[in-house]
Amino acid sequence: MSLTRTVALFAGLKLRLITGNLRGDTARQVGFAFTLILALGTAAGGFALVSLLRLAPPDLAVAVVTLLYTALLFGWMVVPLLAFGLDDTLDPARLSLFPLRTRELAVGMFTASATGVWPAATLIVTAGALVGLAGGVGGVLVGLLAVLAHFALCLVASRLVTTALSGALRSRRGRDALAVAAIAVVLLFQLPNLLMNRGFGDPQGMLLDMAGALRWTPSGLAAHAIAGGGLAGLAEVAVLAALTVAAGWLWIKALGRALVTADSSTQAASVRRDSGLADRFLPDGPLAAVVTKELKYVRRDPRYRILWFAAVAVVLVMAFSFTGQGMSGPTLPIVMTAFCGMMIAVQLGNAYGIDGRSLWMNTVAFGAQRQFDLDLAGRHLANALIAVPVLALVAVASALFAGEPGTIGWALAAGTGVLGVGFGVGSVTSVLIPYTVPERMNAFTGAAPGQGGQAFGCALLAFAGVALLSAPFAVAVAFAGPWVLAFAPPYGLAIETLGRRLGAKIGFARMPELLAAVSRPT
Amino acid sequence: MSDAVRTMALFKRYGPQVAVAGVDLVVPAGSFAGLVGPNGAGKTTTLSMITGLLRPDGGEAHVDGHHVWRDPLQVKARIGVLPEGLRLFERLSGRELLLYNGRLRGIPKAEVERRADELLQVMDLTAAAGKLVVDYSTGMRKKIGLAAALLHNPSVLFLDEPFEGVDPVSANTLTEVLRRFTASGSTVIFSSHVMDLVERLCDWVSVMSGGHIVAQGPIGDVRAGRSLNQAFLDLVGGPQAAAGEGLGWLGSGERR
Repeated sequence: MSLTRTVALFAGLKLRLITGNLRGDTARQVGFAFTLILALGTAAGGFALVSLLRLAPPDLAVAVVTLLYTALLFGWMVVPLLAFGLDDTLDPARLSLFPLRTRELAVGMFTASATGVWPAATLIVTAGALVGLAGGVGGVLVGLLAVLAHFALCLVASRLVTTALSGALRSRRGRDALAVAAIAVVLLFQLPNLLMNRGFGDPQGMLLDMAGALRWTPSGLAAHAIAGGGLAGLAEVAVLAALTVAAGWLWIKALGRALVTADSSTQAASVRRDSGLADRFLPDGPLAAVVTKELKYVRRDPRYRILWFAAVAVVLVMAFSFTGQGMSGPTLPIVMTAFCGMMIAVQLGNAYGIDGRSLWMNTVAFGAQRQFDLDLAGRHLANALIAVPVLALVAVASALFAGEPGTIGWALAAGTGVLGVGFGVGSVTSVLIPYTVPERMNAFTGAAPGQGGQAFGCALLAFAGVALLSAPFAVAVAFAGPWVLAFAPPYGLAIETLGRRLGAKIGFARMPELLAAVSRPT
Repeated sequence: MSDAVRTMALFKRYGPQVAVAGVDLVVPAGSFAGLVGPNGAGKTTTLSMITGLLRPDGGEAHVDGHHVWRDPLQVKARIGVLPEGLRLFERLSGRELLLYNGRLRGIPKAEVERRADELLQVMDLTAAAGKLVVDYSTGMRKKIGLAAALLHNPSVLFLDEPFEGVDPVSANTLTEVLRRFTASGSTVIFSSHVMDLVERLCDWVSVMSGGHIVAQGPIGDVRAGRSLNQAFLDLVGGPQAAAGEGLGWLGSGERR
């Protein structure tokens, strides 16, 4: 097959996949329209902003372009992994049965990844530097080569990363690890944001320093080639092209290997026999069974790991901004611990979402409302077993940080109180607005297709409920002092009990509907 | 003979589409019953409604004389279920899954452990008992699912496509366990579209098509001298194979 035919074939294949994905599904069509608008905006805005760099001092302009190119390159390597797991079109194993030579496959997959909305936007933004940096006809010509080479490098590097990891991504453990890594990267992106909030003395100096460090990276070479032009620029483009070819060669090698490497996902090791933590302090029975199972799930299911990780991370981010805004004294540990309690409790705002389709096992076993109630109690108990030590840690750390060790007790009381309130509210939202949590949760959505509204409503109701039911204490503490918090834990327990009873009553009556809502295909 | 399962005018629709259009299913106690029908006949929907997993839009279902939706406590203690799709608690090991399931039903831990270990041995899963269910093969999942359904010693067992995707060795294990189960007077109802299997195992058969029961009774009566496969094709009335028309290129001949 000739080169042009391969290119045309794969470009057509990708376009067909994009349109086929949209057929007959309004939610996806709306989503695609949104993506399209976003990409167009990014392309136009990015191009305009980069063009405007012509007005900036030249050394600063080159520094900005260097950083931008680095971000693009890094983004291309990381985002496809995080956002889509392993997309069908990117998985070489799907194509391995077709009579294609590795070279054809490589050209084809390169074409397929260059076809699409985001590649086009990337190319346009990258090309903005031609207006922003290049000088003279020669500069534009060298710059054009540099832009194309850097764009190609983005694509090839992206392919190389996905292909090299595709074996790992097809195995269960690899996907589990990646799911948790995704959230870490999202938080990493928040880091500069936080640092900026704190205020830095000299942003321009920092920018130049960072760009200086990146001078000899591929992105730095590309930016300088566009700005400098001439023979030196041409040499830089040559190096860039050589790098791209080398990455492409590595990618073809990895592709060849990925095609003949077996899927090893089912050869897993055994789990340890459980030590029976719950059985040591609970009487034998269904409650102990539920607590044991929940504790195992928190440890083993990546979705729980993500939720816990996210809850703790949000608390840390909030701590950073609370102290940044000058909050101190006894308020800090109390607010921090209460906030942490809420973040942990609302994880159970959709308690059955992660059980998903396996929930039938409970449904065929529960013949009485009491059993449903017991199941909820087990879930709360298991989560409290992890949450209370975490809250204690937060209370101690924040009190010591604020220099108010006397408030540790009050803070912990506030945290456990809010935790109880959250469990109570969550019991009701779990049965009123249940939704499916997809197996492969990514950093951008936590609900099955078409259930985004339920997920939003459920979270909103949970947060509003917790805020409303905790408000009396906030007011009382403001007027009467922290001693009121002594009543927070019993109050939380009371709300938990009431919410659990109500949740069990509603939930038991609509078990088939609950099962259907959490069993949606994802 | 009393009936283990009896439904009256069981009805379910999804939007404009009627999935189950008034099913009167009867299964006598102690029988090994097959529920057969082409894809989309409503077998899974019917079984889901009898086992309390799906709310019917009309009609009634009784198990051992207890109303499924009004007397769930009695019904749920008596039934064991292996639903389609085989979604289990994936992040538990096979043994942990059995322990969870048994203890959830209030059986003491020591007793559950004894039964679970015996079931794992009979199902030839002892070596895989410590592995997570998410890493099990289809045959292993069916076996652990059946073990979970048997753990509380139900009197009626509902199995949705228990033999689909199961290798012959595992299938043999499954049938041996089920034969022993019915020999003691308990009832098994399973859906399938493998006629040979139904003919070999069952003494009672119900044939579904288009949301209706089109034939039901002791297997000899339904067969009426034909093979079950022929009886099924006659009842369901599939299109007659038009051999010789089209597909002229298929098979060894001229290569292009």
